[in-house]
Amino acid sequence: MTNDLLGLFVVIPLVTSLATVALVRRPVPQRVLGLASLCSMLVLALTWLVRIRHGEVMVSQMGAWPAPFGITLVFDSLSGLLLCAGLLVATACYIHGFSMVEPLTERRYFHPLMQLLLVGVNQSFLTGDLFNLFVAFEIMLMASYGLLAIGRTRRQMTQAYKYLLLNLVASTVFVITAGLVYGMTGTLNIADLARFVADRSAAGVPLPTGFTGLSVMLLVVFGLKGAFFPLWFWLPDTYHTCPVSIAALFSGLLTKVGVYAVLRTFPLVFAAGEARDVVLPIIAVSAGVTMLLGVLGAVSQHDVRRILAIHVISQVGYMVFGISMMTTVGLAGALYYMIQHMVVKSSLFLCCGVMERHAGTDDLDGMGGLLKRHRWLGVAFFVAAMSLVGLPPLSGFFGKLVIIREGWTMHWWLSAIGLATGALTLLSMLKIWTQGFWSPESGPAPARGGATTASLRPAHVGIGILVVAAVSIGLAAEPIYDIAFHAGEQLTDPSAYIQAVSPLAPDSVVAATGGGG
Amino acid sequence: MTTVLAICVAVLVTVSVYLMLSRELKSVAMGVFALGHGANLSIIAMSGSPVLADGGLRNPPILGAVGLVDPLPQALILTAIVINFAVMGFLLTLLILTAKRTGTLNVDELATEDRPTRGRTGGDR
Repeated sequence: MTNDLLGLFVVIPLVTSLATVALVRRPVPQRVLGLASLCSMLVLALTWLVRIRHGEVMVSQMGAWPAPFGITLVFDSLSGLLLCAGLLVATACYIHGFSMVEPLTERRYFHPLMQLLLVGVNQSFLTGDLFNLFVAFEIMLMASYGLLAIGRTRRQMTQAYKYLLLNLVASTVFVITAGLVYGMTGTLNIADLARFVADRSAAGVPLPTGFTGLSVMLLVVFGLKGAFFPLWFWLPDTYHTCPVSIAALFSGLLTKVGVYAVLRTFPLVFAAGEARDVVLPIIAVSAGVTMLLGVLGAVSQHDVRRILAIHVISQVGYMVFGISMMTTVGLAGALYYMIQHMVVKSSLFLCCGVMERHAGTDDLDGMGGLLKRHRWLGVAFFVAAMSLVGLPPLSGFFGKLVIIREGWTMHWWLSAIGLATGALTLLSMLKIWTQGFWSPESGPAPARGGATTASLRPAHVGIGILVVAAVSIGLAAEPIYDIAFHAGEQLTDPSAYIQAVSPLAPDSVVAATGGGG
Repeated sequence: MTTVLAICVAVLVTVSVYLMLSRELKSVAMGVFALGHGANLSIIAMSGSPVLADGGLRNPPILGAVGLVDPLPQALILTAIVINFAVMGFLLTLLILTAKRTGTLNVDELATEDRPTRGRTGGDR
């Protein structure tokens, strides 16, 4: 079905971003505007997700140019679920930021950058075009560079370089790959590429020489953004230095956009034909090592924020594991896991922000006795942590159940690693729990940040939203998994997606490839 | 033509890798910019010449036009140049701010001065 309003997910944050630039010296109107933009997008996304819950595909052709020629925005089960989860996380982190982001930082264009980040994230979830995906990545990265260096402390600036330069190199590789894909296939539209690949394999014609090389190059690009092994090294330091609300947002959105790009392009296009035998083993091994090394890194750390940051890597491993199977159930499991992980991980980071405020440090040695003084914070953290570990009936359990059961027949060793990782996750979460919350207070009651209940109220609201969402994703696992399953079906059998995006006769595509090759 | 472009791309990429391996952030930034130009040239090379080897004209895959250069790669490059330019601006601003704040742009010096605040007791956050 067509829906010409999909562009709103890009227009609303863009306009809000420009408006907040004009209001940069006045925090309250900026907050109101920003919140209005986020809430309106969240409502829109949820309404449309309900409309496509039986696996329909909503398409917007920008400027009414037909699909392979114009820019296409696609809102299907995959994009829709991720968009809703992303906007929910962004809203909660934004509200949390009202009490956590320093007034000086707020005046340094925190609100405009935040909205710009959403322009990029929304566009990458919605776009149906490889080059547009690159542009969306760039918008998102520009905003994230700004947010990363926003405090202008020495540590933030030196850390920003690592992130910035790595991403610049990755983006350049992405541009080159996009150019090569166009040269080889004559199209950049993902649906059109999927048709190109499907037609070739149906006719028994081999894919162009070097197609496998393109797949691997794209895997490196997306793997760097998504923090797969061995490209995850930038992540822990990056998340350690910026304000905690921003770290929570990054943990929920940035790596997931990389994983999403793999989930969108590889089953449809780049894991086809001869490339399949090269790419899938790489993805599978990378998934195993990512899971295991991520969680081992987390167990060895002693700062709450570092533990959580390195956990992001380990959890990305589960999603990649789901993708590496390339079956309907595996992909659906990966998608479900992504959604619940976005919510749960961000809520843990938000809790970590409040814990830091109360204890004056995020070092576990300096914490303690938090449960006695802040009971509800403890409850929220415990629920989120157990979701992350995967304790039924919380959301993480269902994600892991689907992925590990599906994996048992294909890659039993990956499932075994997944189970071991789950146990180690429990260990590292219990470390935070026992030392931060349960142990007796380590010194005189600190409250170094001058944390008062009133100033922390927005932070508590943000945590509340995400924890409630995490619990309901677990309780409503079936309807959400149904939508994820539709997404999995569309990825393994892309004919519905192709038909919805570009209902062109195949012969015109053949003519196009003759011209471009 | 493709050979000339390929040589240009190779030179640009070589220079940029050399520059990026330097310990001085200014050179690293220049290396990144050179890499961006190399990428753009490689897309030009990919789009090919409008004249085929047998003297005939190639049809760009868009709208069945004859005798035109395929406009899409050029549009891609235009976009990439704009983005590269914006990122360049950001990177140079960050370099200036870093130089003002720390007085050095050498990676080693930045790293050593960074270490004391990295201790387990947490820093200025």
